[in-house]
Amino acid sequence: MAIIRVDHVDKSFPTRHGTIAIMQDITFEVKDADFLAIVGPSGCGKSTLLRLVQGLDHPTAGTISFRDQRVDTVAKGMAMVFQNFALFPWLTVNQNVAFGLEALGWDPERIAAQVERYVSVTGLDGFEEAYPREISGGMRQRVGLARALAVEPTVLLMDEPFSALDALTAEGLREEVLQLWRDPQLPPEAVVLVTHNIEEAIQLADRVIVLSRRPGHVLAEVPVDLPRPRDRKSAPFYDLTDRVYSLITEGGAPPSPPAAGGTVPPGRTL
Amino acid sequence: MTNEAPSAEVRSDRPAHPRASAPNLARDTRPFHRRSAFRSAVLYAGLPLAFGVYASVHDGLTVGSITGYFPLASVDLFYSFLRMVAAYALSLGFALAYGYYAATRRTGERVMIPVLDILQSVPILGFFPFAVAILAAATPGSFVGPNFASVFLIFTSMAWNMVFGVYESLKTLPSELKEAAETFRLRGMLLFRRVLFPATVNRLVYNTVLSWTAGWFFLVEAEIFTTNTSNALAGIGSYLSFAASAGNGAKFLAGIIVLVVLIAVLDFACWRPLSRWADRFRYDTAPAGEGGGIVTPGEHPGRIRRATSYVTRGVRSGVSRIRTPFVQLAAFTTRPGRPLKGPRRPIAYYAAAGAVLVFCWIMLIAIVVAVFGVFTSPIAAPVRHDIALVPEAMGASILRVAAAYTICLAISLPLAIVVARSSRAERYGMPAIEVVASFPATALFPVIIFVLVPYLTPNGAAILMLLTGMMWYLFFNILSGVRQLPPDLVEAARSYGLRGRQFYRRVLLPGIFPALITGSITAFGGGWNTLIVAEYLSLGKSQLSVIGIGQLIDIGNALGGAGNALMAAALLTLVATVVAINELLWKPLYRRAVERYRYD
Repeated sequence: MAIIRVDHVDKSFPTRHGTIAIMQDITFEVKDADFLAIVGPSGCGKSTLLRLVQGLDHPTAGTISFRDQRVDTVAKGMAMVFQNFALFPWLTVNQNVAFGLEALGWDPERIAAQVERYVSVTGLDGFEEAYPREISGGMRQRVGLARALAVEPTVLLMDEPFSALDALTAEGLREEVLQLWRDPQLPPEAVVLVTHNIEEAIQLADRVIVLSRRPGHVLAEVPVDLPRPRDRKSAPFYDLTDRVYSLITEGGAPPSPPAAGGTVPPGRTL
Repeated sequence: MTNEAPSAEVRSDRPAHPRASAPNLARDTRPFHRRSAFRSAVLYAGLPLAFGVYASVHDGLTVGSITGYFPLASVDLFYSFLRMVAAYALSLGFALAYGYYAATRRTGERVMIPVLDILQSVPILGFFPFAVAILAAATPGSFVGPNFASVFLIFTSMAWNMVFGVYESLKTLPSELKEAAETFRLRGMLLFRRVLFPATVNRLVYNTVLSWTAGWFFLVEAEIFTTNTSNALAGIGSYLSFAASAGNGAKFLAGIIVLVVLIAVLDFACWRPLSRWADRFRYDTAPAGEGGGIVTPGEHPGRIRRATSYVTRGVRSGVSRIRTPFVQLAAFTTRPGRPLKGPRRPIAYYAAAGAVLVFCWIMLIAIVVAVFGVFTSPIAAPVRHDIALVPEAMGASILRVAAAYTICLAISLPLAIVVARSSRAERYGMPAIEVVASFPATALFPVIIFVLVPYLTPNGAAILMLLTGMMWYLFFNILSGVRQLPPDLVEAARSYGLRGRQFYRRVLLPGIFPALITGSITAFGGGWNTLIVAEYLSLGKSQLSVIGIGQLIDIGNALGGAGNALMAAALLTLVATVVAINELLWKPLYRRAVERYRYD
């Protein structure tokens, strides 16, 4: 069954020179136990889409519903991980993780227990009292992740969560996110990942939604049925990457047959 | 002419979250630029008009009786304007020379920037009576002395922020640009014309506007002050002061009207076109003027570099809206990136500091008395009596400034938050606030002193005057603090459902803390400078006099040569107090602010 339903959504912005359409007629669903990735070139409205889904912003046309309820304010049951972490520099790691729980009005003991659990789950032990600027980028994003998981969301939204990290750190954190995702003890029933890194999308997700250039619309929905753990160097992985890449560069035209061989260098991002 | 603010464009990779990043959060913060010119014009016209209507209804003034004073007022205003121009020319030359030297010579920088910092934190106006007395004694019977003194005073209110503007824009010139100039072997005049001048001009113009605003305030205050003495300077300040003390409403109103007209003309004819022109010289993508983005700390070790990066960050965050007393010195002892430790200081610490301060006062006073007793004739008994009052007066002044600060905070904090966070309030409120802020409140001091005292009590009137001297520093700093809350933090707060009181406690107030501290430092600086007129003014039969350090300095000045000991004792006590408060209160707070509350 669908947890989130995005139904014929348009989004445009008024500017001094008229209206700019960011996305047009976007329709998709997030199902139970779904790890969904949204990829597309810069400016296609991926991040906007994620914000619409949480209700941080409103679509110009169309509807978004979460568990059959229309999203018109910031929806509870979803939590966001931000590209640039969005940690509060004046709060410690613990206080940052507790941030969302305080907003929910939990009592202090319950918050403390919850924070302890998720700090530990995300491997932040020993950093509880550190301030964000005192820890590395990878650790900061763990805090972002812990903060999101601590509110036990139904859906975890991730907005380019690995883009601000160096390649090695990002790789390590991706693995950990996968492990957390597969842990049945942990909350999110579904994950929506926005990224411009095609390999990342294919490595992590069960389905990839491919958006076009602005104004963004859905070019294709690509199921990823490779067995985990996925080997980036395997041929099927490669073919899939290539297919998605062609979809985007050719704006939906069928992929040209000879391209499948290996003309696309690995690690290609848009 | 392109009038598009880059911040208004849709960013390509993330065009969304207009709510969180609302256009008003990352907007040009310069006051006199690109605002609705029409609204400002209406306000400029409306201000004196409202006064006029009120006065004509209230006091039965006729248009003719007001316009009759225009020639006289215009002549006096012209004298004032000449002083402003002279002081500005001095400031500009000084800023370019000092700023360029400090930015390019390492040894120069090491000494010059701290010196400048001390200079700007001292309440210069306190020295004004001295300067007038000395220069008047040097040129007896002529107006040259007081004129020099007033030009110098205005210079001190204009120069510092311009110097920092030049210095910082040269220091923050991207190294790629410098290297590009080097690879193409630009030298001498060509280097100046193509690289150095364009690098400084934007900040220089921005600070020029601020300097003129501060300059008007000090000019009027200095002129009002000279009416305490035997040789009053001809100028708009003394004109207004005499008009008010004589109870001549028509004359006073005529003076206000010509002053508003001149300020409006300068705004429309000079500052707005100049700002638009200077906009072309921006080499960064940050919003114009001081409303820049976040500067990452430099990789270079060393205290000067670190201090520089703080200066920059401070200025970028709108910190030195007009001046940044002690901000740079505070940065010298700061180690970025280290956790903040050390327990909170107990009350006993502040009590002990206060006791030490009082002890210092008494020592200073004793030294002054001894020095004067030995080197000049014995101090007269009434002066002695007044000198004994100095500690008490200083205490009274501190309380008065603190009271005015509290009221300022209570007004400007909510006001700035509303203006920054609601585009409606911004659209209608900002032009009004800018017009009001550009008008030197000191011009209305005579009204406060001679008309409002019966309603407000002398202490109330003094605090009201202090308010006008402190308010805008606080307001504009808080405003830019709120505007520069990083949009992604605001969005994260929204995303996690934080609102209402929790939002203010957890996000907004910590987020604006550094701006609040700098605003407080500058506001206190403004307050100390306003004391000198706020506590004592005597004209004919009317008099305002409340116990305070400004009052004692003025009394000492009015006594002539016999009062020098009193003036010196009061002045030293004031300077010691200001330095102590900066050291013990503001520096630690500022350090705390930059350590914990900056974004990076």
